Amino acid sequence: MNEESVSVGQDYKCIDDCAVLSIENLSGDVYCMRLAGRHIAHQCSPGQFVNLKVTQQYIPFLRKPFSVCRRDKEAGWFEILWKIVGTGTAAMARAKPGDTFNVIGPLGRGYREPQNMTTAILVGGGLGIAPLLFLCEELRRNGVHVEVFFGARSASDLAMVDVFQEMDVTVTITTEDGSAGTRGVITEALIERLNTGFDIERVHLFSCGPTRFLQSMIHITETFGIEGQIAIETMMACGFGICVGCPVRAREPKPGEKQYKLTCIEGPVFGAREVVLDG
Amino acid sequence: MVDLSTKLGRLSLKNPVLVASGTFGYGRESEPLVDLNALGALITKSVSLEPRDGNPPPRIFELPAGMLNSIGLANVGVEAFVREKLPFLRTLDTTVVVNIAGRTADEYLAVVRRLEEEQGIDGYELNFSCPNVKKGGLEFSQDPRLTASVTQAVRDATERPLIIKLTPNVTRVSDVAQATAESGADAVSLINTLLGFAVDVKTRRPRIHTGTAGYSGLAIKPVALAKVLEVVQHVDIPVIGIGGIMGVNDALEFLITGACAIQVGTANFIDPCTGQKIVQGLIDYCAANRIGAVSELIGSLKMWS
Repeated sequence: MNEESVSVGQDYKCIDDCAVLSIENLSGDVYCMRLAGRHIAHQCSPGQFVNLKVTQQYIPFLRKPFSVCRRDKEAGWFEILWKIVGTGTAAMARAKPGDTFNVIGPLGRGYREPQNMTTAILVGGGLGIAPLLFLCEELRRNGVHVEVFFGARSASDLAMVDVFQEMDVTVTITTEDGSAGTRGVITEALIERLNTGFDIERVHLFSCGPTRFLQSMIHITETFGIEGQIAIETMMACGFGICVGCPVRAREPKPGEKQYKLTCIEGPVFGAREVVLDG
Repeated sequence: MVDLSTKLGRLSLKNPVLVASGTFGYGRESEPLVDLNALGALITKSVSLEPRDGNPPPRIFELPAGMLNSIGLANVGVEAFVREKLPFLRTLDTTVVVNIAGRTADEYLAVVRRLEEEQGIDGYELNFSCPNVKKGGLEFSQDPRLTASVTQAVRDATERPLIIKLTPNVTRVSDVAQATAESGADAVSLINTLLGFAVDVKTRRPRIHTGTAGYSGLAIKPVALAKVLEVVQHVDIPVIGIGGIMGVNDALEFLITGACAIQVGTANFIDPCTGQKIVQGLIDYCAANRIGAVSELIGSLKMWS
């Protein structure tokens, strides 16, 4: 294993050739890959990501960012989850155990665990479930009560539901076509849950998913007056702050403060009131 | 032992492999991943007089073997650069060139004058060629007379080596290079990004918020090499070749064409160790071909008779 890591302050990223340990087609076009990487497995926290070089050729040209979905410190592996959307993700799905991918990570700022929190509500839209799985494992280990809400278009977009169910957490599922769970959208199920009551000081909402979904999450945290964090996805080149290509608009920056935050180093997890999502 | 050293006017470098402005931050971002001291020089992200927020997103778009970007020179401004970035750069055992961007001649001069008060800067590269921040729709280096006057004004304000970064978005880049040569520049670096555009057919919106953007990456290498060839054939000034350099073979193409040094740009986003690997690749190439000094390679192009 070729690990070139030097830590600078909290900057624990390394560049590493990671061997594929296993690859699994979870459902439809959704895949999960387990990669060997002791450094990343040890240093990553929930919500952080890795930037993976898909091919030695030049199409796709850039690395592709993936949230760490699970890790095992002892065994020295981490997992990523993806759906085939283009040539790069299709090429990844053809990988075999023993193949290697060059990976930079762990990158970005992950979820913060608030003090006093006793109930964590995790809300995932589509593949937004990936970092929430890692988060769920950590929160359960710390004795936090966790409720999971998971929305997808249809049953074929669902992944890892069984893993959550094994973790002693309540799992609510909705699909738009009704092929799994309740027919509908997850925001409705979440609102229904919040209407049953909660301790505003001790509940915290963690979410990850597409932009529209996260806009709803921001809205819900405001409506119910609860604290929350969102993990966003943007176009990204380097993943560690040098290309400056992944800005997200800061919400109400004070005079002298920056108008944009960089998703790769200041995110991808932001406070629900920290940024404005356009589009 | 292969002699990798190269000379660009009054700027002497331990090797000809530089990292391009805007593709390497201010050095520290890549430090955990890269041996910064292996580089011939580090060129900082553009520094302007005041901090700049940059352009609204989307700022980048991926293309086959390349990408579009329109960052808008987002940077911390010269005072924060001096306070927060320069102390780290001073600790490096490599040449540090500060890239400077401005909207007016006065802004370039003001930044240079401020930096003249500081130690640990080995030279300046003037960005006359960002396609995404324009004065009156024109890049500075699209106008040879404007290029000459600003180069001369900065030349009069510093003894430090001066590199002028040129745009390829002109009919004859050699005319602009000639203007810088006559105005006291030590070297020219080319090419900055090509002007590009892409459309999302679903939304019918430009892929980049500002519309047109800078096109970079492997795909632009042949254009870059042609522009470098034009300048080395017509102008007596050292050239730093930039454009689509992903590995040692690309770097060799530029050196053989006549560039005295090269800059690795977009490749840093994909592999920040690219520059370091090219340095090793040059050593290996020279050793394998019994070349004692990289200077023997520069301009060694054999034209068809």
